Amino acid sequence: MSSTVSSPRTKALPTSTPAGESPRRRLRAVLALARVEARELLLQIPVFVVLCVYVAYVGWELWTGGGEDGAYPVLQDVDRATQPESLFLGVAVLVCVNRAVLRSRRRGTDGHFDVLVMEPWRRTVAHLLSVVPFALATALVVAAQFTGAALKPGAVGTGSFSELAVAPLAVLLLGVLGVLIARLVPSAFGAPLFVVGGYIAVVLLLSSSEDTPWLRWLTPFVDEFQADPLPSDLLGRPAAWHALYLVGLIVLVSCAAVLCGGRRTLPAALGLARAARNPVAWPAVGPARLVKAVALGAAVLTLAGAVGQSRGDSPALLAARKQASVAPEKDHTCVPHGRSTYCAFPEWTGRTEDWAAVVRRVQSLAGGAAGGTKLTVRQRVDARYGLSASATLEPSSTHGQVTVGTRWGGNRVPEFSVGVASVLVAGNEEAAAAMCDGRVVTVMWLALATTSDPMASLRDVRIDDSVSGSAIVLAPTHPLEMTAAQTTVVRELLQRPRYGVTAKVKAHWTELTSPKTSTARAAELLDVPVPKGSEKEDKCEE
Amino acid sequence: MTSLGTTPSVPSVSAAGLCLSYGSTRALDDVSLRLGHGVTGLLGPNGAGKTTLLRVLATAVPADRGAFTVLGHDPGTARGRHDVRRALGYLPQTPGFHPDFTAFAFVDYVAILKEMTDRSARHREVRRVLDAVGLSDVRGKRIKRLSGGMRQRVALAAALVGDPGFLVLDEPTVGLDPEQRMRFRELIATAGEGRTVLLSTHQTEDVAMLCNRVIVMAGGRVRFEGTPAELSARAAGRVWSSTQRHPGAKAGWRTGTGAFRNVGDPPDGASLVEPTLEDGYLLTLDASEVAA
Repeated sequence: MSSTVSSPRTKALPTSTPAGESPRRRLRAVLALARVEARELLLQIPVFVVLCVYVAYVGWELWTGGGEDGAYPVLQDVDRATQPESLFLGVAVLVCVNRAVLRSRRRGTDGHFDVLVMEPWRRTVAHLLSVVPFALATALVVAAQFTGAALKPGAVGTGSFSELAVAPLAVLLLGVLGVLIARLVPSAFGAPLFVVGGYIAVVLLLSSSEDTPWLRWLTPFVDEFQADPLPSDLLGRPAAWHALYLVGLIVLVSCAAVLCGGRRTLPAALGLARAARNPVAWPAVGPARLVKAVALGAAVLTLAGAVGQSRGDSPALLAARKQASVAPEKDHTCVPHGRSTYCAFPEWTGRTEDWAAVVRRVQSLAGGAAGGTKLTVRQRVDARYGLSASATLEPSSTHGQVTVGTRWGGNRVPEFSVGVASVLVAGNEEAAAAMCDGRVVTVMWLALATTSDPMASLRDVRIDDSVSGSAIVLAPTHPLEMTAAQTTVVRELLQRPRYGVTAKVKAHWTELTSPKTSTARAAELLDVPVPKGSEKEDKCEE
Repeated sequence: MTSLGTTPSVPSVSAAGLCLSYGSTRALDDVSLRLGHGVTGLLGPNGAGKTTLLRVLATAVPADRGAFTVLGHDPGTARGRHDVRRALGYLPQTPGFHPDFTAFAFVDYVAILKEMTDRSARHREVRRVLDAVGLSDVRGKRIKRLSGGMRQRVALAAALVGDPGFLVLDEPTVGLDPEQRMRFRELIATAGEGRTVLLSTHQTEDVAMLCNRVIVMAGGRVRFEGTPAELSARAAGRVWSSTQRHPGAKAGWRTGTGAFRNVGDPPDGASLVEPTLEDGYLLTLDASEVAA
């Protein structure tokens, strides 16, 4: 301190002069405090680290394209997939905003701040608002995730705004819960205990919700097991109701926090407990009546959302799912490409060209009539169990019909090749499922020979990622079984120049596609050493 | 009501019949006072009700009975309380801090709570008060890295921000070393120019050096209200020097010269000495004990 201290009174600030209460000024003060608290929140290590990791993870996914399947996103799945990733940010915000609300109490500034102009309930509002930038940041990340997926040439389907809104709403909900917990339990242990207790409660809720699926919808996110994407009109997720439920809950929790912020404890806030009221305190000032009215409205919204999201699948939806599963042709749009026809659910018609390219490639290697066979590629999905279960598609008995699923990219491409080759060799999928002879060699070579890396594709379609020994080979419907001998022969063929093998396949097509041809015979026809024990392995199970 | 001595003609703060009890303890008992511009010292022993009075005047707690106004505003109504708080600067007895905040950020935070919404004007004001308390060099330092004296100055800056018309300081010099105390006195004296400052303290030197008025409290009641000179004058003719502590003295202690300074009713022929504020204070407390 210097001795040249000037008189503070001589430099009065207009902002500090006592003036009439202006609602605008009061609001601006709350916003100014919210800005400061938001900045403080961002500087908390858990929030900063989790936010950086979240943004970096999504950025990396966008940069790398999201893996093999990422080039062909289904937007009605992408929207939902944005939700769980934001959970960690929400939890970090919950814990840190809780600490921020308790800061004054922990540091002993409450007594001082309580005699300043901004009342405790408005400080609570500022803390509630300080969470909003993190919800907005989450919304930006979600928007980037979805836009990145939607802009990919292989994208199909339709996203839901309500599903996309869930992640930011969940972050907001967890944040305002952190504020409320601080107002109810003025202890640093309140929020961590709530997180642990909440996690246990959600796990118990999910484990006991098989018969009561509506219980799952009470949690912020409802992630569902799903093997294959469904057409958007068959999802049956009450996303809009859930978003309404979350909005209602956010407003309700915020109102409770504001009421507690003015009164310090919930019983006192609700006027229920005399003992909870501090006998030496000014009566709480604030728009309690307005807040209670808003809370009532929010409770109605929450209830409406909860009821709306709990109604389950309608009979019309169940009927539509059954039709899509057992008679998909009624929903399909068919597009001709070359000799073949490609029938897909309307949202997937943009993918028929990709399927046609595979069919052309496989068919170009086939001999006899198979090279010119007219195929029908039909998209199928088992939607009867909704999103909560997955069922294997039954092989089709229709001649020349090849099944394709609703996923594409990555391993799904060689799997589809196997399906196409199987139908070219065996005539239909049902017959192909029963193959246990030398035809497997032909099928596998047809399916994989024209891929960019045949050995890698062989590894990809085998369930154990091996290129030796026996294994199950994945296909769109029923998987094939490859014996060790067949694997040896196929591996040998795939390592040879394709044109030489193609000539032999076309030359011996009839015998190579006969159920009577053994693996040893197929090897002989294709000029490959006959593996030992192939005869034993060829015997089909009775 | 107990009201003694002269009172300011135009009071900025006036209270009448303030009572407050904590359970069966009467913390304030019919307290009335009038404060004008300048620094008023509030003296009293522990438990006299000083902090409770300051908390009531700072609108931290309401009184059970009685009324008061600050700069014309009545805190009995929500609107009036709001206006009082706008005009108030408060330095609590044990001020809290947010240790991870810088000095600037903490005072800025308080300024926001005082509804100073214009960001650039607020920052100018924060810089001004930090400069006024001599902390401009360390305004970017986290509070946890500041010394006790510096923290106390941060608290004073927080009280001064927004240029309050009524400044309530609850034992601001406790725990400070003599040099820091001197600096603080300087600051408070400057702050008292043109505004009303109520300074609670145990240090009679603080009052003697800073205050143009003084209030002595004991047992929740005002025992004296007047100028420091008037308080000192209460001991006129009742302080004497002797070679031994006089058994009839209310208080007596050996001074640096080796002689004893006695306060009380002097014996005949005693060597009277000039009374100080502390002598007047001691005799006032003694009188109040007798009255109690």
